[in-house]
Amino acid sequence: MSFWKSDQINPSGLPPYIGTSNEIKVKEYFKLQYKIIKRKLSDSSPPIVGYLLALLILLAFVGLSMFLFHKMAFAPYVYVLISVYFTSKLSEIKRNDFLKICFENKPYRKLRILENLIVALPFVIFLIYKQQFYPIIILVVITVLIALLTFKTTYSITIPTPFYKKPFEFTVGFRTTFFMFFMAYGLAVIAAVVDNFNLGMFSLILIFLTILTYYLKPENEYFVWSYSFTPAKFLVEKIKTAFLFSFYLCSPILILLSIFYFENLGVMLLFTLLGYLYLTTLILAKYSAYPNEMSLPQVIILVFCLVFPPPILIVVIPIFASKSVNKLKEFLK
Amino acid sequence: MISIHNLSKNFGRKQALKTINLEFDKGKVYGIIGENGAGKTTLFRCMASLETYDGQIHSELNPLKNYLGLLLTEPFFFTKITGKEYIQLLCNARKEDISNIDDKNIFDLPLNQYASTYSTGMKKKLALLAILLQENQCFILDEPFNGVDIHSNIIIIDLIHKLKALNKTVIISSHIFSTLSDTCDEIVLLKNGEIVKKVLRKDFDALELEMKAFIIGNKIEKLELK
Repeated sequence: MSFWKSDQINPSGLPPYIGTSNEIKVKEYFKLQYKIIKRKLSDSSPPIVGYLLALLILLAFVGLSMFLFHKMAFAPYVYVLISVYFTSKLSEIKRNDFLKICFENKPYRKLRILENLIVALPFVIFLIYKQQFYPIIILVVITVLIALLTFKTTYSITIPTPFYKKPFEFTVGFRTTFFMFFMAYGLAVIAAVVDNFNLGMFSLILIFLTILTYYLKPENEYFVWSYSFTPAKFLVEKIKTAFLFSFYLCSPILILLSIFYFENLGVMLLFTLLGYLYLTTLILAKYSAYPNEMSLPQVIILVFCLVFPPPILIVVIPIFASKSVNKLKEFLK
Repeated sequence: MISIHNLSKNFGRKQALKTINLEFDKGKVYGIIGENGAGKTTLFRCMASLETYDGQIHSELNPLKNYLGLLLTEPFFFTKITGKEYIQLLCNARKEDISNIDDKNIFDLPLNQYASTYSTGMKKKLALLAILLQENQCFILDEPFNGVDIHSNIIIIDLIHKLKALNKTVIISSHIFSTLSDTCDEIVLLKNGEIVKKVLRKDFDALELEMKAFIIGNKIEKLELK
C-alpha cells in the first residue's frame, strides 16, 4: 500500500511514509479508508444498491438498539460489550504488524485510537440519546485502551470445543466468538434470577446471531473441492451439522428457560425453529455466491428476510438452494 | 490410468497449456519440471477439475477428483483449527473414518496446536499427512519438498516409494532435480505450456546435464567473480 501517486516524486528518496510528516501520514490513511469504503459501496451494480444497503444497515442498527434498550435492564452495559467486540476486531495482530511497519510509534497510536473511536461512535451517539453517561465513559476508556493493545491471534492455548468430529465452521467460529457464549449464558442465568423471560429469549437470539456469522465468508475452494459428495449432499451435510451444533450451543439456554418458564416452551421452540430457518437461508445464500462473497443484492434479500416476517423464506430458500447447487457443480461432481 | 488428450487452457489471451498429451499409469511416479510459469500448477488444477479446460482427461477413477490427493504448493489453513482437526476435516470430506491420528503422526507435528501457527515446512507436512490418510488412489504433489527439513525429505521420498509399491499413481513437481531422480519413473519437461521432453529413468543423468548446460550457460562467467 503506497500513498504516493505514480507520477509523484518521493522528495525524501526513501520508501513511502519515511520523511513524510506524521499528520499527513494519518490523514492519508483515513482518506484511503474512506476511498475503500466508497469503492465497496459504489462497486455494486447498480451503485444505488450499495448505498441502499448502507441505509438498511443503519436502520437495522437503530432498530436493534431500540429493541435492546426496550427489552433489557442491563442494555447499556451489553451495548458497551457489543461495541467493544467490534472495536477489538481492529486489534488483530497481522493488521497491526502491517500498520507498525507503515507508521512510526506515535502516529500509529494516534491512528489506532482514532479508528477505534470511529467504530465506537454510533454506539456513543445512541448512548448519548439514551442519556447513559456512565456507560459512555466506560466505553470510551475501554475503546482507547484497546487501541493500545495488540491481540495475539496465535494463542499457545488451544480452546477446546465439542465439535471435533466435524471441524470447521463451528470449531473456528466458537474459538473466535467464545466470549459471546459466556455473555449469552450469563444473560440467560440473569433472566432466570430476575424473572425476565424476554431477556432469556434475547440470549437465545444472541446465540443464533453469533452462529450466523460463521457462514458469512466463503471458505478456500480446496475445502469444498475435497468433498467426494454431490452438491445437494454437500449442502444437506452442511445444514445437518449446523443444526446439530447449534442445538449443542442453544441447549443450555433452552434447558434453563424450560425449567423456569415451562409455560413458554412453545415460544422458545418457535424462536429456535426460526433460528434454524435463518441458518439454512444463510448457508444456502453463502454457497449460492460461491466461491465469491455474497453479492449486495443477496445481502439485501437476507436483511429483508431478517426484518420482514419469515414467510418470505419460503420463496427465498428454494431460490438460494437451486443457485447453490449450480455454483457447487464447479467443484463437486 | 489417467489419459490426457489435447489439453489446452487459456487465461484470457494467454495460453497457459498448449495441446498437452500425457498418460499416467498405476504404480508409477511421474515428475513434472519446468520454469516458474511453465504451466505445472495449471496442469494439476485442470487434472483436479479446479479449472475448466479444452481437451479431455479420462480416468478409470470416476470422477478422478474424488480419488485424488492434491498437495498444493502453499496449502491453506484456517486460523483457529488444530492440526488434528485439519486431518479430521479432510478425512470427513472423503468419508474416511479415521482413528488414532496421533499414532499416524509420522512427522511428529504438534497436532493439538493451531495449524496456522506452524512453520512453512510443518504446514506442508500436515497437508501431505492429511491427503495420505484420505487413502487416495492418485496423488498430485506440487513441490512437496519445498521448505521441508532434510529428515522429512527422506521420509517423503520413502513415502513416494511406498505409494508406488501400493500401485498408486504419483505425480510430483519439484525444483530439486535430485528428489525427482530419486523417485520418478518418468520426467516430463514443460516449457511455456508445452511438453518439450519426456525422459525415462535411464536418461535422467543426461537430462540433468542438458538442463544445467541450457539453464546456466555462461551466465555465471558474466559476473566475472574474483
